[in-house]
Amino acid sequence: MYDLLWLVPTFPFLGFLILAIFGKKIGKKLSAVVGVGSIGLSALITILIGIQFLTNPPEGHAFVQTLWTWIAADDFKVNIAFHLDALSMVFAFVVTFVGFWIHLYSTEYMADDEGFSRFFAYMNLFVGAMLMLVMGDNLLLLYLGWEGVGLCSYLLIGFWYRDPANGYAARKAFIVTRVGDAAMAVGLFMLFYSFKSLNIQEILSVAPHVWSPGNKLAVASTLLLLGGAVGKSAQLPLQVWLPDAMAGPTPTSALIHAATMVTAGVYLIARMNGIYLLAPLSMTAVAIVGAATLLVAGFAGMAQTDIKRVLAYSTVSQIGYMFLALGVGAWSAGVFHFMIHAFFKALLFLAAGAIILAQHHEQNMFKMGGLAKALPVTFWTFLIGSASLAALPLITAGFYSKDAIIWYAWSGPNGSIYLWMAAVFGAMVTAFYTFRMVFVTFFGEQKMEISHYPTWRVHIPLIALAFFALFGGFIELPGTLGHLTLFSDFMKSALPVVEGGHHEVSLEIFSQVLTAVLALVSIFVAYYLYLKNMQIVTNFTSTKFGHGLQQFLLSGLGFDWLYERLFIRPYVWLSRTNKRDFIDFFYVFLPWLARQFHYLFKYTQTGKVRRYVVGIVFGVLVSITIVVIL
Amino acid sequence: MTLTFLFAWLILGGLLAWLAGRWNKEAPRWISLGFMIVHLIVSVRLWISFLTNKGLTLAQGEWFLMEKSPWIPQWGIQYFLAVDGLSILLIVLTSFLGLLAVACSWKGIQERVGFFFFNLLWILAGISGVFMALDLFLFYFFWEIMLIPLYFLIGIWGHSNRIYATIKFFIFTQASGLFMLISILALYFIHGSQTGHYTFDYVELLGTQVSPKIAFWLMLGFFLGFGVKLPAVPVHTWLPDAHTEAPTAGSVVLAGLVLKAGAYGFIRFLMPLFPQAGKEFAMVAMILGIIGIIYAAMVAFAQNDLKRLVAYTSVSHMGFVLLGVFAWNQLALQGAVMIILSHGLSTGALFILVGDIYDRLHTRDMDKLGGLWSVTPRLGGFGMVFALASLGLPGLANFVGEFLVLLGVYQVSVPIAALATLGFIASTIYSLWMIQKTFFGKNVNEWKMPDATPREISIYAALVVALLWLGLFPNTVLRTSRQALKNLQQITSQYFQGSKEATTNPSVEELNKSRSNYGGLE
Amino acid sequence: MTGHDFLKLMPIIILAATPLIIMLAIAIKRNHLITAVLSVVGLFAALFAIPGAKYTNGDQVSNLFIIDQYALFYFALMFLATIVIIVPSFQYLELRFKGNREEYYLLLLTATFGSVGLAASNHFISFFLSLEILSVSLYALVAYLRHQNDGIEAGLKYLILAAVSSAFLLFGMSLVYSQVGSMQFKDVINFLSQNGNYNFISIAGVALMVVGFGFKLAVVPFHMWSPDVYQGAPAPVSAFIASVSKGGILALLFRFFAEFNIVQSRPLFTIFALIAVFSMFVGNFLALLQSNVKRLLAYSSIAHFGYILVAFIAGNAQQQFKGVEAATFYIVSYFITIIGAFMIIGLISNEEREGMEMSDYRGLYWRHPWLSVALSAMMFSLAGIPLTSGFIAKYYILASGISTKLWTLIIILIINSALGVYYYLRVTVEMFSNVDAEQKATLISPNVGILSGILLAVLTIALVWLGVYPTGLIGSIQAAMF
Repeated sequence: MYDLLWLVPTFPFLGFLILAIFGKKIGKKLSAVVGVGSIGLSALITILIGIQFLTNPPEGHAFVQTLWTWIAADDFKVNIAFHLDALSMVFAFVVTFVGFWIHLYSTEYMADDEGFSRFFAYMNLFVGAMLMLVMGDNLLLLYLGWEGVGLCSYLLIGFWYRDPANGYAARKAFIVTRVGDAAMAVGLFMLFYSFKSLNIQEILSVAPHVWSPGNKLAVASTLLLLGGAVGKSAQLPLQVWLPDAMAGPTPTSALIHAATMVTAGVYLIARMNGIYLLAPLSMTAVAIVGAATLLVAGFAGMAQTDIKRVLAYSTVSQIGYMFLALGVGAWSAGVFHFMIHAFFKALLFLAAGAIILAQHHEQNMFKMGGLAKALPVTFWTFLIGSASLAALPLITAGFYSKDAIIWYAWSGPNGSIYLWMAAVFGAMVTAFYTFRMVFVTFFGEQKMEISHYPTWRVHIPLIALAFFALFGGFIELPGTLGHLTLFSDFMKSALPVVEGGHHEVSLEIFSQVLTAVLALVSIFVAYYLYLKNMQIVTNFTSTKFGHGLQQFLLSGLGFDWLYERLFIRPYVWLSRTNKRDFIDFFYVFLPWLARQFHYLFKYTQTGKVRRYVVGIVFGVLVSITIVVIL
Repeated sequence: MTLTFLFAWLILGGLLAWLAGRWNKEAPRWISLGFMIVHLIVSVRLWISFLTNKGLTLAQGEWFLMEKSPWIPQWGIQYFLAVDGLSILLIVLTSFLGLLAVACSWKGIQERVGFFFFNLLWILAGISGVFMALDLFLFYFFWEIMLIPLYFLIGIWGHSNRIYATIKFFIFTQASGLFMLISILALYFIHGSQTGHYTFDYVELLGTQVSPKIAFWLMLGFFLGFGVKLPAVPVHTWLPDAHTEAPTAGSVVLAGLVLKAGAYGFIRFLMPLFPQAGKEFAMVAMILGIIGIIYAAMVAFAQNDLKRLVAYTSVSHMGFVLLGVFAWNQLALQGAVMIILSHGLSTGALFILVGDIYDRLHTRDMDKLGGLWSVTPRLGGFGMVFALASLGLPGLANFVGEFLVLLGVYQVSVPIAALATLGFIASTIYSLWMIQKTFFGKNVNEWKMPDATPREISIYAALVVALLWLGLFPNTVLRTSRQALKNLQQITSQYFQGSKEATTNPSVEELNKSRSNYGGLE
Repeated sequence: MTGHDFLKLMPIIILAATPLIIMLAIAIKRNHLITAVLSVVGLFAALFAIPGAKYTNGDQVSNLFIIDQYALFYFALMFLATIVIIVPSFQYLELRFKGNREEYYLLLLTATFGSVGLAASNHFISFFLSLEILSVSLYALVAYLRHQNDGIEAGLKYLILAAVSSAFLLFGMSLVYSQVGSMQFKDVINFLSQNGNYNFISIAGVALMVVGFGFKLAVVPFHMWSPDVYQGAPAPVSAFIASVSKGGILALLFRFFAEFNIVQSRPLFTIFALIAVFSMFVGNFLALLQSNVKRLLAYSSIAHFGYILVAFIAGNAQQQFKGVEAATFYIVSYFITIIGAFMIIGLISNEEREGMEMSDYRGLYWRHPWLSVALSAMMFSLAGIPLTSGFIAKYYILASGISTKLWTLIIILIINSALGVYYYLRVTVEMFSNVDAEQKATLISPNVGILSGILLAVLTIALVWLGVYPTGLIGSIQAAMF
């Protein structure tokens, strides 16, 4: 079965090729079959391999399949080779499995779009690239997938290309992530020269022998990789692109900008855990980035009116949690949250998509309302997703995954009380904006009639994902609640085990209870402010301070404003001013000078013989003078 | 005789096309196409036989094929052609792009067809000669020969401001070439006075002992000659003008091949002949390279004219070549060779695309374009691929080259490598901008035009396949050039030793030791 | 005079006899064609006498002349050039001159005689006599189309200015003679080599003689006549002035300084270097925006002789790439090019005017491809671009300059080459640009005769041949060096 590993990314790529070349000819139905089918096959193989991996793990809990030598120059050699271990297994599973549901959903969501086959082509390409990212056995192949998913993200954000705003959002996403990628590239150079290899496993195994903890190169290279990770995962300070990325079709947001691609940064850091462990400073940086991001994005999420932007900020914020987990050393908790997040966030986006479709493509949730009755399946699944996101205690998967992070933020090897406070506060904020969204959208009176009732192709993915968003958490239960460690046991072969937990159990219970209570309180506050007594909010935002605060939060805390002035305008201004290429002026000057000489000498050419004689005599005089002088 | 064939065949084809053009408009096209196909077959066969025979293990001073006979014996000038892996790659590129240049001129050129293809084939002949000549005089001869037909090509079939552009281009390249000629001559005399044997033979001139001060000046002469062609900032300004005005085939040949002659010159001649001076100058050259990468990318971003934009991207990409050459280690050189090839393909492709758009709409002003995707999705799709190649997307050819160059440069100077990485961002900005302004957005002017024809599709498809091939299987190329580059490095080894160890953190033994502890990872 | 001397002089004698025969023929019957054919036959006869002279011993013929390999090489060159000039002359006169055409050939042959005499001179007397024979013939030739004011004006200018320069030349000669006591070149040079740096009078004399050389070569600042004369004279005469007349004086210059290392005499080096530098710059700058092709060629010719002076200054000191060889090669190449160019100008003429304006060449390629290809080849050769002899020639000069380390001059030469490219390209650009219908009507349509066509083809092929395979010519030049 393992030998079929190469087929996992091949099917999506094949699908992409077929759709790219023949998409127009074969019609929507066949396009859908190809688009969904390729991912389906890919998911099927992944699951089969996964089952084998669980039942009959390969030697050393890792399987490597080398296809061909990609680049070999001097002592630099990388292969096109796949590395399958627990970590990549989880990611590949999420990518193909969630991807499959989203693809299925898309057949309905995109049904009326003229770019139907183009959409599936991009989506297939994305899945292929994402699989390269998570399965590549070396950093360069990872980088290939990394850039490939960035490309697909760009293509899909700008999918409706006629609107320049979408194009702008797409470019913004690509360029901002590319900033991170540039840093990451330098990180790769650094790693290569430290280890003479870019093979991930080699680096990880050799690193402890080459670098002592705190080694400067270790810190530098991990920070550079972190640069790549914050770009791709929309963490501070490169988080600005993700909210705008919502310009893409909603399934895209679900797959790329929620479930998979944006978590590539998490994957990268988790993957390179060995060298991060050697650079405590970088670990701290990861944790701080995560904590800061989860707060900033959470605040921004509280003021959004666009349902997708709320989800976008919540994604940024939730990835902040994952970073926090990685930063404090709770590797498997971070990955666990990734998986659960993929389920519930994809679910939320898909449900939001169904709502948008039902509301004449309106995305402002304040123009919606009372949809609970009209769209029952959507409502219930959305509610489940929201509950999971808000980490409703005990019953949702989100609770278990997030709880672990919050606890480790304190108790983890790198944890601290401040990080824990940030995480708890973030959880509260999350619960607030999540249920603000739920109440505004589904309750109250219905403001618009329903333009489209979803069918089974929407409902089945919703229900499937809702199932996992609810029950996915039960494979990993905290010590205080049953202590089930299926997931972390599984990850043990790929990720270091947390060496935390020296805090007392009572503290852990305190933390859990506090989080749960705060979440419930937040939900109540949201209920009170947005359903029960909306006047308070209206009054508040009509004050000068309130309005300013609202705008500040709405704009994502002014990062766009700042970057616009700091980078974009100077760059554009500098380029535009120099459009004519000032260096060329020098070369325009030379012919001008030559022409002046021409006119100068032309004066001598009068056509008068006496002047010519003067010329000759002048020549004689000069000659004689030279003879005299020399 | 294969080597003579490779350029003489094109000379012959050019003449035939010209003559045929006097009677028939169609004939020159078919003649050129036929000649180019044969040329491609011959050069690819040469490549294959290189890979399968002893080509991969040529020792220093050995050539895979060599032709040598006296030419102007009084001056010690020989007719000396030879190829190694490096030359073979470039010749294959010449054939390939030459074929595409012929194909892309099929419909666009309707006047003076015979003379057009004459010029086109002669340029290609000159370029083929440049890549094979190993007598410095002969090299210079070919170097200059390709200018005249190129001058005609742009001057006659170019766009409105062509005269200015051609003359600028010609004077730039001529003047810089003459400075190189001075250096060649000076080297000749120095070698002659030392050994009593006056010769232009490259192999013999290698290792001529020149006092460092003079060597520096001579190196500068070469640098100017190659740098203008490359082009390196600040002597690049002829290029945007020449490209903007050139007909499509002219741009393809210019960007794809003529610039590469400069790059080739750096690798084959400048560094091996003046290793010490080259090393002293390396920092300056690399800084010029960085400035080129970023500066040109910024200027490119500001352009309205699609073709001018692409032209500036060429300047930007060539900055990487400059970096790669002057880093002068195996990785950087391999990368430079990869960029030479991939840039030829990707930029050639973009020029063809721009040409096809221009042929349809008669404008290249990006402010007037927009929304073309809905009209011509195929052109748009191909355009997207080429733009992505140009911004260095992994999986396509350019990435491999740029990555290897940066990797090599990192070994020499970390800050330079880091700064050059900014080029990744800058190239993204202009590439996406170009796509946005051309294919995306609203089709405000309601342009209507036919999508790609089968002829165009086959051109583009060939390019896409080539780009993918080089991006995913670059080893075919890397293998071919490896030994040639090693041999060139061997020549300069006494000046370039030790630099490698300096930046490497742990020693190799150390690594091996720790690796053996963790056995089974290979 | 011995039999040997007679054989040695044979080419000159035949050349001198031809005008006499022509004179007789004219007396008997005026016929343009017969006269032209007679001149060509005479020149060929002289040409065929050269091998005889070559294999005869005893180069020194009397005190005045030396007929060595070197002189004979120039003889052959000038004979051939004159022959080539006669062919378009015939056509040109038929078209543009209604008066007596026959004396033209007479004058052309005497001018050639003067030029040939210069190449063989070894003595101030023979030098001056030959120079005057050349000049006097040229005055008449320049003004030959006597119904045209331009021609008369040009002839007069040439007359007056040549007289001025001759005066300086004579004065310089006498100064030198006063110190040396001999008018043999060899004695003069020996004296200069030994006492040159201390003897003020003799160096001053040489410096004054430079005026004479400079005038004929049209180098700065003695150049001002040349554009006016080139423009006013009939195209074939301009070709002659640019080629044969300059070739003769250059041959003499080389011979005079053959044994003298100019670089070692500071005043002379400075003078020649300055002349070279200014000739290059002034010539090229003046040509830059010139729209009259004949004037353009005149200016460019100034620059070209600046280049040649670089080789001249490099001299004979070096083993490889002797300056004189380089200059001789350059002269051969220049002969081919400039004669070809003027020939084409002559062909693009009608009864009213010569096609010397740039606009007359617009779109020539589309009307007359071969003619314009030939002219382009000439222009590329003048610009020194590979595949043409001009490239090898320029290369030769560069090499000679570098071998003697004349770095400054070489750099200036390079800069000027770049300048030159600009205006040569302008001509080709003009030929390849499009003409609209309105302009088309005003254009002169060239009429290329068969013979002119063949000759032009030969010149073009020679141009390319020398550009690709110069070995033969280099060999014969090296063999012909003193």
